[in-house]
Amino acid sequence: MDLFLPYIACVTLALTMYAALRPSPLSMQVTMVAIGVAASGWLIGIVTGSLSAFNEVSHGIFFIIFSLCAVAAAIRMVTHERPIYCALYFVLIVVSTAGLLLMLEAEFMAFALIIVYAGAILITYMFVLMLANQAENPEEPYSQAIYDRIPREPAAAVAIGFLLLCLLTGTVTGGASSLPPEGDGTSQWYVLEKLSHQFETNVLEIAPDFAWPPISEDGHVIQFGSSGPYIVSGDGTVLELDEAMLPTNTQMVGWSLVNDFPVTIELAGVILLMAMFGAAVLARRAIELTEKEKRKVILGHDSEEVGDDR
Amino acid sequence: MMTTFAPSALSGYLIVSGLLLAIGFIGFFVRRNLIVMFLCTELMFQGAAIAFVAVGRYYFDYSGQVMVIFILTVAAAEAALALALVVLLHRQNNTLDADAFGELQE
Repeated sequence: MDLFLPYIACVTLALTMYAALRPSPLSMQVTMVAIGVAASGWLIGIVTGSLSAFNEVSHGIFFIIFSLCAVAAAIRMVTHERPIYCALYFVLIVVSTAGLLLMLEAEFMAFALIIVYAGAILITYMFVLMLANQAENPEEPYSQAIYDRIPREPAAAVAIGFLLLCLLTGTVTGGASSLPPEGDGTSQWYVLEKLSHQFETNVLEIAPDFAWPPISEDGHVIQFGSSGPYIVSGDGTVLELDEAMLPTNTQMVGWSLVNDFPVTIELAGVILLMAMFGAAVLARRAIELTEKEKRKVILGHDSEEVGDDR
Repeated sequence: MMTTFAPSALSGYLIVSGLLLAIGFIGFFVRRNLIVMFLCTELMFQGAAIAFVAVGRYYFDYSGQVMVIFILTVAAAEAALALALVVLLHRQNNTLDADAFGELQE
């Protein structure tokens, strides 16, 4: 029976989505979102097991809050009939995602997500929405266009979407136990080793009379013992390393970015440049100029004055 | 900082990313407003970003976060191009209905 519980949660969510997609009064919509959030909370609960899966209980509580916020806002965004509200609910999703990334110790990405998504991309969407979204009937400015009120093929879309969700759920519940073991963090120490200036400063701060440089064994300066990483100086002194010495998250991301993906950065630059060209070419409006206006644009002044001078 | 990450916590994050992906997928097919359809693709990007960072955290591998930087790049480029196209189409037909552009094919 336990095997089927996640799928029952998925089906509940699917039925809720289908009901929420139909045009209905606000109280009904709110009830549907509540049921959807309860179903996804149940699904997350089944998969995670208990809060003890997290390193700290507070992490687990924040994880639940942020993920349920994200799911509720996502359901509301997909079903809301006013596009401006969809964009605002998407801001809520971005903020909850940033919270989840903070729980995953990805501080840089969390704030970059808020700045780039909520600050830049969503503002562009809002601009275009307000530019393009005029009321069809001027006498009723708050009525929405028919294409915003009536969904297209909700049954088929919900069926396919939740087949996808069931597949993902099956993979995650069945596959998590057979994952390769989690990392032990040694790679972080090897990055510190390569940041030689920071490494030396940190070591000399806690042990001013340490004889720099330490000797290396098997290609690595940092060795791992039973009580953690340590280094050995040229005169045989052993110094245990502290976790506070590790590079910060932002440093590690920067290191990985320029060390492991140099070509991809160039590609990202090309993509952005091409997007800029494309947007400029697409959005330009061709203006028909008469012969006289063309001459004015080229010469910089009125051509008739030229004639008078001559 | 060095604390390990339990597999069941990883599955929790992966399920959240799957939920966002599935809801965005449904929204993309169900909505008929062009701009909201593109918003739903951004929602699917969010789901992918969570999965990348969670798996990266599990293995102490920062490539996951680097991938999110590239997702941001692609999302920004896509938003610029898609919105330029939408503005163009809206100027032509004065509607945002995706079904109204069926006759664009020759």
